Amino acid sequence: MWTEILQGAILASIFASMIRLATPLLLAAMGEMIAERSGVLNLGVEGMMLMGAFSGFMVAYFSGSIWLGVLGAMLTGGLMGLIMAFMAITLKVEQIVTGMALNLLGSGVSLFWHRLLFNKTEEVNVATIQIFQPLRIPGLSDIPYLGEVFFSHRWLTYLAFALVPMIWFFLYRTKYGLEIRCVGENPRAIDVRGVNVARLQYLATIFGGLMAGVAGSFLTLAASPRFVPEISAGRGWLAIVIVIAGNWMPWRIMFAALLFAFLDAFQLHVQGVGVLIPYQILLAIPYVFAILAMMGSRARSEAPRHLGVPYLRE
Amino acid sequence: MTGTRRGLRFPYRLERRSDVGRWAQLAWLIVAIVAALIASGLLLLTAGADVVEAFGALFGGGFGGWREILETLVRATPLILTGLAAALAFRAKVWNIGGEGQLFAGAMAGYWAFTLFAGLPPVALFLVVIAAAAAGGAAVGWLAALLKTRFNVDEIISTVMMNYIVMFFLSLMLSGVGPWREQGSYYQQSAMLPESAQFLVLLPRSRLHVGFLLAVLAAMAIHILLTRTPLGYEIRAIGFNPTAARFKGTNVPKVMAVTLAISGALAGLAGAGELFGLQHRLVMDLSNGLGYTGIIVAMLANLHPLGVVLAAILFGGLTNGAFRLQVATGVPSAFTFAIQAIVLLFVISASILSSFRVRTVSDVD
Repeated sequence: MWTEILQGAILASIFASMIRLATPLLLAAMGEMIAERSGVLNLGVEGMMLMGAFSGFMVAYFSGSIWLGVLGAMLTGGLMGLIMAFMAITLKVEQIVTGMALNLLGSGVSLFWHRLLFNKTEEVNVATIQIFQPLRIPGLSDIPYLGEVFFSHRWLTYLAFALVPMIWFFLYRTKYGLEIRCVGENPRAIDVRGVNVARLQYLATIFGGLMAGVAGSFLTLAASPRFVPEISAGRGWLAIVIVIAGNWMPWRIMFAALLFAFLDAFQLHVQGVGVLIPYQILLAIPYVFAILAMMGSRARSEAPRHLGVPYLRE
Repeated sequence: MTGTRRGLRFPYRLERRSDVGRWAQLAWLIVAIVAALIASGLLLLTAGADVVEAFGALFGGGFGGWREILETLVRATPLILTGLAAALAFRAKVWNIGGEGQLFAGAMAGYWAFTLFAGLPPVALFLVVIAAAAAGGAAVGWLAALLKTRFNVDEIISTVMMNYIVMFFLSLMLSGVGPWREQGSYYQQSAMLPESAQFLVLLPRSRLHVGFLLAVLAAMAIHILLTRTPLGYEIRAIGFNPTAARFKGTNVPKVMAVTLAISGALAGLAGAGELFGLQHRLVMDLSNGLGYTGIIVAMLANLHPLGVVLAAILFGGLTNGAFRLQVATGVPSAFTFAIQAIVLLFVISASILSSFRVRTVSDVD
């Protein structure tokens, strides 16, 4: 098994897949981090991602434009983020239950509309679209191995990685970033300074939804040309795990996302070279690792102290 | 919540009340269900269906006659058990999202017991498979508790991850190389269970099996457990305030482990019912989300064990109604999953709204 895998071409392919597969995880985790930093524990990422994948595909399929598809996915995710924010911040419903409700909503609504739109015409598995093609960076993508690994991806992948330093800058070097970090840590302190706590939390949660939606659109507009029910397959939950494993810090979250993506890329290639391990065991690896990663990450120093706790004045 | 807004004094304010009357809660629940039906009606409009006809089919298919009601009870059986599983855990504020995985773990453990003890007389075999199923579900629940108390792994994460892992394990057992695959079958399924292993059917010409009685008994048992026993008191206490419970001398990790084990066992029994009572073979879509629907059932019942029975029957009817809906109007039966989530969103909002009251500010100051 190892002799087949440890070849230059295969390794380059594994690392290229790693970066590609990290895209949805990283996008969703970055959004979730911002929401959690503001104190809102959004467990609805899975449902938001699924709805993003679904609406992105539908908009692209019926409008013919994949760019509109991404926009549709963003709006859908943002709308679900708004619902999350309204329930969590205005109504102060138990955030865990609200997140679960949004997961079930995404799962139910996407399945319902998918059946509605495609069962009639008997094209359930046939409906495909023209997806985003890799954007090969001129010059750099011709470098052997490195070109394939780093410079031959879809624009959403470049965006996901470009967002890491941008979000880092926003969070640690701007006034709004400081406020968001404070809200999750000590909402009262920020409230007495006259900053609107609810507004900040709303914006952060909606941003988290937008990002989950875009992450979902990567699945149906860049990774594969079709939508199948439950296509998100737990990636939203992995994004939540990645935020915890990354200790709520942008760079560490990027590495955590890459690690999970590596496991996925590795199992794909092990399957590809025809090693006799049942594929179910390979597929389960990231989920088992998620539990193990939680065991390891004892240092949660950056966990927002007010995470999941609604802010009550008085 | 203050009464001032942009400098103007607003004469009313919302405040939380500590005493929420049962009738106020019930009234809000009805408001929530009506609101959810309206939202679902909008969803039906996107399907181009005649809303009145559609709701007629939905209700008629669920509760329109004796046969429909029996079939509704069949659908309600696993939901009572997964609903209880969620309700019990949530009472302790232990967020067991793993009902789905525990259901499958129970079904697999039951099936494994069947393969070992297939020769036993039916009654003994029945007892062995339900014990095994309960143990299978309990083991997965207990593992989540162990991960939480020993290794600080959040139970939400571990139970969700185990849902996926358990499904991959089942897929492996039913795959071409797995031991449970039906010989020569093209599908991922086990062989049909012999009649001696199938659960007793309660009424002739129906599919209502003994699992229904088991589920109702379980609801009563959980009700008694929560209200009349020291363990039930401790479960409620750690849900209310774990720190206070710890100072009172409650062994919180132990109570958590027992809660998750019982919760898992209940979901495991649901799996046994679906396998031995209804489908009679192990298949990948044995459940179709029953574990998740159980969460909604529990919330709708306000985490009350006997309320779970009623909520499960309501949702069982909804599932059946959706099949008639599909036949009568062509609206996909997946409508149930959408409607269930919408009901949950409205019900949890209503449960919060019922705990507020409007008061004039001059009254307080």
